[in-house]
Amino acid sequence: MIVFYLVLGSVFGFALSRSGAADYNFIQGMFLFEEFQLYGIIGTAVALTAPSLWLLKRYGRSLTGKPLVIENKPGHRGNVYGGILFGIGWSITGMCPGPILVNIGEGKLYALAALAGTLVGAGAFGVLYPRLVKPFHLPPIQVGTGEG
Amino acid sequence: MNLILNDLSPWHWAAGGAVISAVTLTLLFVGNRRLGVSTGFENVCSLVVQTPYFTRDALRGTNAWRLPLLGGLLIGGFLSAVLGGGWEPFWDLGMFDAEIGWGNGGKLIWMFGGGLLIGFGTRLAGGCTSGHGIFGMSNLELPSIVSTVSFMAAGAVTTNLIYRVIL
Repeated sequence: MIVFYLVLGSVFGFALSRSGAADYNFIQGMFLFEEFQLYGIIGTAVALTAPSLWLLKRYGRSLTGKPLVIENKPGHRGNVYGGILFGIGWSITGMCPGPILVNIGEGKLYALAALAGTLVGAGAFGVLYPRLVKPFHLPPIQVGTGEG
Repeated sequence: MNLILNDLSPWHWAAGGAVISAVTLTLLFVGNRRLGVSTGFENVCSLVVQTPYFTRDALRGTNAWRLPLLGGLLIGGFLSAVLGGGWEPFWDLGMFDAEIGWGNGGKLIWMFGGGLLIGFGTRLAGGCTSGHGIFGMSNLELPSIVSTVSFMAAGAVTTNLIYRVIL
C-alpha cells in the first residue's frame, strides 16, 4: 500500500503544482480577490466531492468491502484561532501544507525554510498540548484536535 | 497569469479541482482514509519527539500511510518541473521579488516565520485546506466550515495589509 499512497500523493502534488495552488502569485491573487483560479479549484473540488461522498457513504463500504470509516472532526475554539494563525501563515508564505512539499519538489529553495518552520510549529503545538486544552476547549490528548 | 515554475501556463481551474476531487475520493474508497495533509507534519514530528501527544497510537498508527502521501507530494512537484521545462533549484518568488524585494536570507526568515504559523495554526485548528477545506466542507462538517472561513478571512486580511496598506 505504500506505493499506492506514494502514487496518490504524486498525482495530488502534480495537480497542485500545475493548477497554481502551489504558486505564490496565485495565492496572493486569491487573497486580493484579483484571481479566480483558486476559488475555482477549491469550488470545483468541493462541488464534485460533496455529492460523491454522500453516495459513497450511502454505499457504506470501501473497495475491499470493509465498512467505510469517516470520523468527523471535533468542534472547539481552536477551529477559529488556529484557522486565523494558519491563514496568516498561508498569506505570508503563499503555501498551505500540501504545497509546501510540492514547492520543495519543484526546486523552490525558500520552501525548505517554510517546511522547517512548519515542523517546529507543529512540534511546539504537540509539546504544549496539555496547556492548550483548557483555554481552547480541546479534546483529550488521545483524541487530538482532529486529523486533517 | 503564468506559474512562477518555468513560466508554465496553468491548467484550467476545473481540471485542478477535478483531479483533487478524484484523489480525495480514491483515498477514501481504496484506502478508507479521509484526506488531510497537516497531520502528516505531526507524523514527521513523532519520529523524533517523544512526548505523550506524539507517542499516542491514534497518531503513530497513521505513519504508514501519511508519510508516503507526503513523500508523494514532493515527487509530484518534482515531476511537474521535470516534465514542464526542467528541474533546477531556484529562488524566484514572483510579486514578493517585485514589491518586497528581500534577498535570499530575508526570504528564508520570512518563510520560516510563516511556517511556524502554519504548523501551529493548522494543528490547533485540526486541519488545513485539504482536511477542512476540501474534505470537511464536502462532508458538511460545521468545525470545518468555521475553520475554512477563519483561514480564508485571515489570509485575505494579511495579504491586503501587506500589498495594499503597507506597500
